[in-house]
Amino acid sequence: MSFESFADCFSLLDDGRRATLSDLMRVSGLNDAELLELVEFGVFEPVEAGAAPLFAAHSLILARKAGRLRRDFGANVPGLALALTYLQRIEELESRLRELECQLPR
Amino acid sequence: MQYKDYYKILGVDKSASPEAIKKAYRLLARKYHPDVSKEANAEERFKEVAEAYEVLKDPEKRAAYDQLGTYQPGQDFRTPPDWEQHFGPGHFHFSSHGSGDFSDFFSELFGMGPRGAHAGGGFAMAGQDVEVKVPVSLEESLHGTEINLQLAVVERGEEGAPQRVPKTIKVRIPQGVTDGHRLRVPGKGGKGMGGAPDGDLYLVVLLKPHPLFKPSGHDLYLEVPVSPWEAALGATVEVPTLAGRARVKIPAGARAGQKLRLAGKGLPKHGHGAGDLYAVVQVVTPPQPTEKEKALFEELARVSDFNPRRHFGGV
Repeated sequence: MSFESFADCFSLLDDGRRATLSDLMRVSGLNDAELLELVEFGVFEPVEAGAAPLFAAHSLILARKAGRLRRDFGANVPGLALALTYLQRIEELESRLRELECQLPR
Repeated sequence: MQYKDYYKILGVDKSASPEAIKKAYRLLARKYHPDVSKEANAEERFKEVAEAYEVLKDPEKRAAYDQLGTYQPGQDFRTPPDWEQHFGPGHFHFSSHGSGDFSDFFSELFGMGPRGAHAGGGFAMAGQDVEVKVPVSLEESLHGTEINLQLAVVERGEEGAPQRVPKTIKVRIPQGVTDGHRLRVPGKGGKGMGGAPDGDLYLVVLLKPHPLFKPSGHDLYLEVPVSPWEAALGATVEVPTLAGRARVKIPAGARAGQKLRLAGKGLPKHGHGAGDLYAVVQVVTPPQPTEKEKALFEELARVSDFNPRRHFGGV
């Protein structure tokens, strides 16, 4: 068994780091044309547009999910866009539900 | 090593057509895929289903698997002695983006690596990204913590054969992580091959239940029981917070469910302040009132013209 030295995590949600299109390609297995199509669908939103767009680091989480859905369901890009949009909506609703449940007596 | 009955896992007959196998996989993927399923053990079930499909969808792998004959599920299994002669390294084709996270049974039979994966073949493959769930208490989130993670990372040996390598990684969890929070540790996943980069480690935070506080993002909710007279007359009560005690002013005429905010007493936010603690008022009555308490409530009922159901109209 190997024992790795101490490693620092960094948050993918709120520390202002950026991911490149290549980063998204690497974690998702999707190619640049597919990812740019997902950008057109509004699934990924660049924080800096242009020839070399930059994305918020939390886009890596979504890109990994996109890669899994593509690999495991054989979904095409419009199908992925729809599934990811609904999954995000479900996450938002679940978060709202948790918040409301917190206010109910035990 | 235990035998795996891939037909049983997919719920199909040995004679099932490729279409029937695909259909069975799709139904089970819809049911157990960890990104869409709420089933218990969805991730483990899906890994089994994906592994079974990886074999049965490929005529070459399926034929080789069928040659093994009949075993009972879970029965002890040893690879036939002539297996490697027929299906040696590089024999089977693998899709480039498969998860690679297969059982020992699969790896032993088919995990000889992609074509050209032999040492010196110029083959390069990035290390596997690994995702693990990490239970964290609210107190650990408040202060940040260090944890030792014990992982079994899929890495490829010199001949490209995937194998599970145990690893212990000590990681620092930053302050203020919340439920579902994702963290990334670059380069701490599986080792890359042929100069390709190592995979990353992704941690998904699961906040452990706390006996008093319910988290919602960086905010915390605390149920604060108050007596009817504290609710009616107002009071200042002491409540616990994650970092000691605080005093909360219950306003006169407080309602059950009313939220009183203690600013900044929630979980710290990365680099910008903290969430809030909400004291949620719960009005409770004495479970076994004394004769005197009963008499006083009866007196109150007699003299008060307060009707909490006035808005119902003439009911």
